[in-house]
Amino acid sequence: MIEVLIALLTALLILVGAGFALVAAVGLTRLPDVYTRMHAASKAGTVGSGLMLLAVALHAGDLSTLARALAGFFFFVLTAPISAHLLAMAAHKMGYPLHEKSVRDELNDYRN
Amino acid sequence: MTAAQMILSSALWLALVVLGLSFLLTVWRVIKGPTLPDRVVALDMLVGIVIGFIALIAIRTGFTLYIDIAISLGLVGFLATVAFARFILAQGRGDETAEKEASKVIPAPPLAPKRKRASSRKPGAGPAVSGKAKK
Amino acid sequence: MTTYILSLVFAVIWVAVTGSATLHNLIFGFALSTLSLWIVREQMSARGYWQRMGRFLSLLALFFKELALSAWKVAVLVMNPRMELKPGIFAYPLTVDRDFEITLLANLITLTPGTLSVDVSQDRRTLFVHAIDCSDAEAVKRDIATGFERKIMEAFR
Repeated sequence: MIEVLIALLTALLILVGAGFALVAAVGLTRLPDVYTRMHAASKAGTVGSGLMLLAVALHAGDLSTLARALAGFFFFVLTAPISAHLLAMAAHKMGYPLHEKSVRDELNDYRN
Repeated sequence: MTAAQMILSSALWLALVVLGLSFLLTVWRVIKGPTLPDRVVALDMLVGIVIGFIALIAIRTGFTLYIDIAISLGLVGFLATVAFARFILAQGRGDETAEKEASKVIPAPPLAPKRKRASSRKPGAGPAVSGKAKK
Repeated sequence: MTTYILSLVFAVIWVAVTGSATLHNLIFGFALSTLSLWIVREQMSARGYWQRMGRFLSLLALFFKELALSAWKVAVLVMNPRMELKPGIFAYPLTVDRDFEITLLANLITLTPGTLSVDVSQDRRTLFVHAIDCSDAEAVKRDIATGFERKIMEAFR
């Protein structure tokens, strides 16, 4: 009984994680400019792979795997915003433009 | 095959298909992506998807050492993204969209010598400068 | 005293991570954690360490809540057939002024729904934030000021 419950939970985590990865990929193809694409990749993508790592921990069900999976999860969650921020800063500094629909760009005003 | 195994294996199949689909979409963005940062964002995302694949394989084979591989891949992916960001900052913006939009942020004079330098090291710099090949 | 307890906790975590519960490994983990705590000893010496732990944990809980929420928001936005975007970059006036706190705030902002921190001004007074829906920037600013920034102030001041 408990075995089925764990299998169900693992399956749920896997499917939700894969779903978030798919959403991030769809966002990557549909969104109009670099900055909005970064939103999709850094949030949905991270959550997707993090959930799948947690699924491994739940499936294995021993302490050392759980600890390593948690360490990996924290690592991904902490590094994703840093890389997104660095990329956004580099792209903006080098003058890659925002999409035409953008309503304002106060950083641009500040630089000039 | 018990019920638990059945649930798990069907979920794994479905998840593998979904991940494969998202992998293809991301690769499409890497190939098409009009600017260099677009490609870098897509490559970063690709690392995330591959980590998902590794996790699924770990569950399938029950071989938990795969987690260590996933963590080190994540580390390498993060460092690669940071290096790409530095690369974007260093080489400047010397490709396709630059001509279309009026350059608002970067003043025109410093751009020209940088571009010349970037194109002079084209052979060694790998796929990241493939956008310049058109020029 | 707290240093010893902390190194003991770290040693136990080390044993869990490496997965071999022998005495040698425990001693090695203890030595390793003592060494790493010795490296950061100056940052650790702040008073009221344990009282802050609770607030720090509540900050962590807020972080995970916001992460889940923001992934969900992105999902809804992307799956919506008619995407109506009003992206833009707005300037956010910072109240926190230490480097460490600015870093933390910028990271948290990146993981909140629909916002991504782009740059900090030279004088460290302004944070530039890219928002996917910039039609009401004032509301977003208010949310950050009453949410994350206040929590950070509580946890680290």
